Amino acid sequence: MWLETHTDANVGCPALGTVGGQHLRTLVLGLGNPLLTDDAVGLHVVQRLAPALADRPDVEVAEDYWGGLRLMERLVGFDHAIIVDAQRTGASPGSISVFAADAGAARHVHSSHDVGLPMALEFGRHAGARLPAPGHILIVAIEGADVETFGTQCTPAVAAAVPRAAEQVLSLLTRWR
Amino acid sequence: MTTQRISIDPITRLEGHGKIDIFLTPKGDVAEAYLQVPELRGFERFCVGRLAEDMPNLTARICGVCPEAHHIASAKALDALFHVDPPPTAKKLREMFYCIFFATDHTTHFYALGGPDFILGPDAPPEQRNILGVIQKVGMDIAGRVLKMRRDGHNLIEMIGGRKVHPNWALPGGVSRGINEEQRKEIEALGRDAIEFAQFSLNLFHEQVLGNRAYLQLITSEAYTHRTYNMGTVDGNNHVNFYDGLIRVVGPDGREHAKYPARDYREYVAEHVEPWSYLKFPFLKKIGWKGFVDGEDSGLYKATPLSRLNAADGMATPLAQKEYERMYDALGGKPVHHTLATHWARLIELLYATERWVELATDPEITGTEYRVLPTATPDEGVGCVEAPRGTLTHHYWSDERGVMTRVNLIVGTTNNYAPINLSIKEAARALIRRGTAVSEGLLNRIEMAFRAYDPCLGCATHYLPGQMPLTVVLRAPDGRVLKTIGR
Repeated sequence: MWLETHTDANVGCPALGTVGGQHLRTLVLGLGNPLLTDDAVGLHVVQRLAPALADRPDVEVAEDYWGGLRLMERLVGFDHAIIVDAQRTGASPGSISVFAADAGAARHVHSSHDVGLPMALEFGRHAGARLPAPGHILIVAIEGADVETFGTQCTPAVAAAVPRAAEQVLSLLTRWR
Repeated sequence: MTTQRISIDPITRLEGHGKIDIFLTPKGDVAEAYLQVPELRGFERFCVGRLAEDMPNLTARICGVCPEAHHIASAKALDALFHVDPPPTAKKLREMFYCIFFATDHTTHFYALGGPDFILGPDAPPEQRNILGVIQKVGMDIAGRVLKMRRDGHNLIEMIGGRKVHPNWALPGGVSRGINEEQRKEIEALGRDAIEFAQFSLNLFHEQVLGNRAYLQLITSEAYTHRTYNMGTVDGNNHVNFYDGLIRVVGPDGREHAKYPARDYREYVAEHVEPWSYLKFPFLKKIGWKGFVDGEDSGLYKATPLSRLNAADGMATPLAQKEYERMYDALGGKPVHHTLATHWARLIELLYATERWVELATDPEITGTEYRVLPTATPDEGVGCVEAPRGTLTHHYWSDERGVMTRVNLIVGTTNNYAPINLSIKEAARALIRRGTAVSEGLLNRIEMAFRAYDPCLGCATHYLPGQMPLTVVLRAPDGRVLKTIGR
């Protein structure tokens, strides 16, 4: 559902793929705390993806640990971004959803020490930061079961979602080839 | 009996999912208010069996907000554990790195979190009361300045600490690498920009807040005033220091209650347990736990930017010292017990951090090449302490003779303030909720302001995507029955 919505939003966008023969730059960013059980799932996904994307000079694969302003700052200079992170919505653990960062659901990204990503993006744009256009930041969110216990292994259902989420990212990337 | 649920969406600036329970008297006044926070389970156990030298990197991962504070406190605990004293260059590098972090962190709090209440006003609608509202009101160019300050801070932290987010740099006995002259020049130049930015921020506060009588009344109102003890780290002149010194505690009247090296913390601080919360409540051992009350006979203490200023005799740098005097003059002398003045104190600390950053960047020893002493003694036990932006941070480690961790105890910044935060919420709720009061969004924000001043860090996984509102206020009858739930 989210995917469809997003695809529709991109119809008619002429800049996908190349500009003047130069490949646009895409950031694939895993987010999470590597020590907080399922919170690390985004990091596991990008670790799995890194070898598969080694031959894509237009794609940077990285890990990061922050939301809000700092996440926005990380996106500066890229044309597209795919952010992979854990989420808690009450859905069944391991289920995956994809949505644009500007979409309503992502407004709940929060911290008392920061602002939500959509607000951070708006703030960055006011400040003149060169950010991916609205609709060009996608979030691949994997439902976590436990994000409050210290541990380096995901719970089984969430670990099982890692290959599927990685496939999802590869499939999203084909549109920006 | 009907339970009404009001959903206030989507703004929040509270870390983690907090829940406030407000208990009412039979007449409908506030009896008690409690802030419950989720426990992040098992970190101390997770560390047992690991190598001591991994601790600065592991503990930096506890928190996505102040990894630098944990990293440096941990390295200091390892200095003690391995009985090694880092060379002067290493100590200065650590402190400079730490001041850069502090300046960056305080900037974010003021502009994104604390500032909106003042610049937009506590009763502004929540969709305006945020960082975007700030730039719309005060000017778009502020956005660029805030981002530059953050970018410079993060870049220098990476340059010095090796990584952008979680540094892997401080080690028992010093640091893993020093800086060269070219790097030093850049650190100094950006530090001078940072001093200007801090002055600009204080001027903004003076214009927007102090120029407004209503805000001054709000800051000094009884609802936001608690006369507790105050804790902070001081140098040899009793001036504020973030990196090292003695812990000083002053009483509600400002007189010194205790001054001690961090390693003796257990002689001065004990922890109280309540059945309704996972978090413990530290209090001053010699005074004792008397419940959620202030005053000289209650062992509650605060460890906040304002507490550090209250616990010290002044600031070690000239511009910050002027601002320090200005604040105490304006608020009627020391100590200041107005919770909302913490925002002002935070900006004074921002200025101090930037001045100290430049002071250290121009120190002849800062580019020295002796930045590590190799530990040779057998490790056993060590305490390391720094002032984190949110309060005094203590790491206490025990290891076997191979340096394998056997026990870990941490008192993080916010934990010090957990009891005062509850007290602040209770007092704000008492002043604002009286019999017949309709609880509105504006009222809720005024209660939230009472704990936002502490910049609380209640959970540490800050960035996963929650699907539910993280803060809930529950109004309860004396028998615990839910009268009303306000979620946001």
